[in-house]
Amino acid sequence: MITKLALNGLKRKQRDYIILFTGLIISIAVFYMFLTMSLNKEFITQNSVINNIQSVFLVGTVMLSVITFFYLFYTNSFLLSLRKKEFGLYELIGAKKFQIRRVFQIETMAITAISLVIGLTLGILLSLLVSWLLMNGLNVEFTQFKIIYLPAVFWTMIYFLLVSFITSSVHNMRLAKSSIIDLLRSEVQNDIVPEKPKSAVLQIFLGVLLLGIGYFALYFMEQLRFIGLFTAPVATTLGTYLLFVALLPVIVRKWKRNKTVNFKGINSFTSGQLSFRLSNLKWVLATIAMLIALSAGAIAGGFAFKNNAFTSIDEYWQYDTTLYNPGAAETELLNSIPLEEQLTFRFKLDDETMYFVREELVATPPLVKDWVTYDVMRPGSLPENLEIEDGYQIVPDTWMSALETVNPALFGTRNSHIVPLIEYERAGGEEISVMLARTNDFAAHMEKWQELARLQESTYTALFAGFDPETDSVATKYAQFETQYAIASGTFFMGFFLGLAFLTMMASILMFKILSGANNDIRRYDSLRKLGVRRRLLENSIHREILIVFLFPGVLGLLHVLVGMRMFSFIMDDPYYRLWVSLLIFLAIYGGYYFFTVHLYRKIVLPRQ
Amino acid sequence: MKSILQASKISKTYGMKGAATYTAIQDLSFSMNEGEFIGIMGPSGSGKTTLLNMVATLDPMTSGEISIDGVSISSMNEDQLSDFRSEKLGFIFQDFNLLENMTVFENISLPLSLQNTKLEKIQASVSQVSRLLGISDLTEKYPAELSGGQKQRTAIARALIHQPALLLADEPTGALDSRNAATLLETLADLNEDRKVSIMMVTHDPRSASYCSRLLFIKDGKLDRELRSRGSREEFHQEILTVLGDLDRRPVAGVRA
Ligand SMILES: Nc1ncnc2c1ncn2[C@@H]1O[C@H](COP(=O)(O)OP(=O)(O)OP(=O)(O)O)[C@@H](O)[C@H]1O
Ligand SMILES: [Mg+2]
Repeated sequence: MITKLALNGLKRKQRDYIILFTGLIISIAVFYMFLTMSLNKEFITQNSVINNIQSVFLVGTVMLSVITFFYLFYTNSFLLSLRKKEFGLYELIGAKKFQIRRVFQIETMAITAISLVIGLTLGILLSLLVSWLLMNGLNVEFTQFKIIYLPAVFWTMIYFLLVSFITSSVHNMRLAKSSIIDLLRSEVQNDIVPEKPKSAVLQIFLGVLLLGIGYFALYFMEQLRFIGLFTAPVATTLGTYLLFVALLPVIVRKWKRNKTVNFKGINSFTSGQLSFRLSNLKWVLATIAMLIALSAGAIAGGFAFKNNAFTSIDEYWQYDTTLYNPGAAETELLNSIPLEEQLTFRFKLDDETMYFVREELVATPPLVKDWVTYDVMRPGSLPENLEIEDGYQIVPDTWMSALETVNPALFGTRNSHIVPLIEYERAGGEEISVMLARTNDFAAHMEKWQELARLQESTYTALFAGFDPETDSVATKYAQFETQYAIASGTFFMGFFLGLAFLTMMASILMFKILSGANNDIRRYDSLRKLGVRRRLLENSIHREILIVFLFPGVLGLLHVLVGMRMFSFIMDDPYYRLWVSLLIFLAIYGGYYFFTVHLYRKIVLPRQ
Repeated sequence: MKSILQASKISKTYGMKGAATYTAIQDLSFSMNEGEFIGIMGPSGSGKTTLLNMVATLDPMTSGEISIDGVSISSMNEDQLSDFRSEKLGFIFQDFNLLENMTVFENISLPLSLQNTKLEKIQASVSQVSRLLGISDLTEKYPAELSGGQKQRTAIARALIHQPALLLADEPTGALDSRNAATLLETLADLNEDRKVSIMMVTHDPRSASYCSRLLFIKDGKLDRELRSRGSREEFHQEILTVLGDLDRRPVAGVRA
């Protein structure tokens, strides 16, 4: 009987539930996708390029599961607050407390189960999409990859069912402690008259100060290191909360004090709504500002990291390709690329030493990077007599770099000696020729580099004993780029979907918070309509009110991101790379939630036309 | 005497196009002069609220014609009706309908704000009307901090501030105890007397009705009877009680033989 009643109650609050659980569903889908990407055993062991992505997605899984735990805890307490009055009524008509608790627990688990079904389906589609995008982006074939991966399904289910069991048990204990009267009254005390701020000045000052410290720590993370890593999140979070708690009411109060504006049209109503809403929502809004910072930061971070794969590869490698004993196929392919520079060198190698021709090197010294000044340059003059100690030839650092540039694959395996041509010809051992080539845009000819790398595989097998192209790789610009780009792409997707999950979770909390109060507002809008307020004015008021509620956390959260991205400058060249794209993605999703909230809210409070 | 309200052959049928239609008001006509205090009485479900809502332009009528202050309302669109309400009408509802998110001052001033009145004028009018109603100390409070009587007086202040042509009240004393109800009705009667405010009030309560200058009795959506106050209020009260008793004893079609 109680179960049937509860089911009806559930139906009535359908809208609230659906809003809350879109966040959960997205979270489940992303969670599953992350797990599939990181657990797919066959997929990982077979692909050396992909190997590194695993850990990236595992990190994502952990971060997502932490946030999801809090999200579920939060939403579950909302659920309870939605149903409290109803549960109180059941108790009033004689239902036992344990029956009610069982209903609540079953309900929570059932919702989680339904969300799991939808979320997992979505997650499978998401895995399909992401693996497809990765395959195309990285130019590899995932032959063994399983979209429907049972261990990932299993762990996703276990995690979410466990968390929802824990959260509903905790809330059940709260339910058990509250008396009937508490339950029955719980819905009434919705709007508390905003209290006069007491120590607002001090709080605002503290908030700004803490935010300043946090921003300072974010900005000078490179210098502050550990202190910064600890200070930045703590100070920024505290500052955000203080500002929302203290500053928001003051802003509305200031606004209301401007009487000429306040007493125009229904401005006094809008500001009245806002002052109630903002003081009811200040904690939620502060939390949302932080989550926005996290989600937009995750999206922007992944984006910048992906870009970094291109810029950083050019930092290390001056030449786009290094070809060992190039054959006709390689030369032909190379001729189809617009080259800036092409150099050829020879060297001989025996068991202990590699010999380079002094005349060749001096005639066409290759570009190197000076690791002291970070300038790209050609090495200067080479001293006439190069001393040799214990088989080790002492050459200037820039020439050392030049030898590494000329022969990256074998550098360091033997001693390198630069010798005059006469001496070179006398030396024994196998002779290998190396061709270096450079374009002005490495990224533009990616397919050519890949093809060259493939053509070189047979040469490698011939040159280097025991080389297996399936598992081994030779240090070349393309090979390094491939690995780096794989990790970067993984990080990009991880960041993007992590951000997406955060964003949907917090936007659904905000939307829920606004809409669950809408029933109280029906009467207000009805009164205004009766008093002769035009519909257009009412709609404007709704737009403005909800816009401001969305705006505050949005602006502060984005400010956090703008400052915070700087933090990544010690691992990336340009953390602000195309930040606007990430911001645009964020704005599109957030804006979508805003308009949807306005639409639903309007449908609730205004009569149909 | 100038006529303030003219209703001719108005009808209201609920549930158009559906299978179950219900005619709440049928071919009802009456008129009201400026400065009158009209009470509307009748059994529950007889159509009082429906009538008031049509006069208030909140509910469109099915047929007939209403003009208020010389303006016909049936041809207006929604925006025109809104403007008309905000300029010509004042409302007092049973449950006050104050906006809880606004202070008393903001609540009272709302009709003037809507007409984009100058701030100085707003402040002057609010302080005048709140003094009149004895709530000038409460203007910075929120409705949640007021008693029922204070709320109702705030509602009246809001209904009067823009000097509407017609004040409409649907059971304004419904949520008040007898003392507060008496105060309220005296206030309304004074307003009617001194400032010549035209008032139309729906009520169940014979004592409340005795403050009116004329009473319309509605039954099954039709005008059943009219009663004018001639003597003192107490005499009128007695008269009302007699009429109500009469109406009660009269057989209802199909119920009593
Ligand atoms: N929206 C509606 N749809 C259908 N029927 C309605 C609607 N509103 C009112 N009615 C019907 O119209 C009739 C008159 O209703 P009305 O509210 O005018 O009565 P009333 O005289 O105000 O009653 P009370 O004294 O109880 O307030 C009632 O029978 C009611 O059921
Ligand atoms: Mg009624």
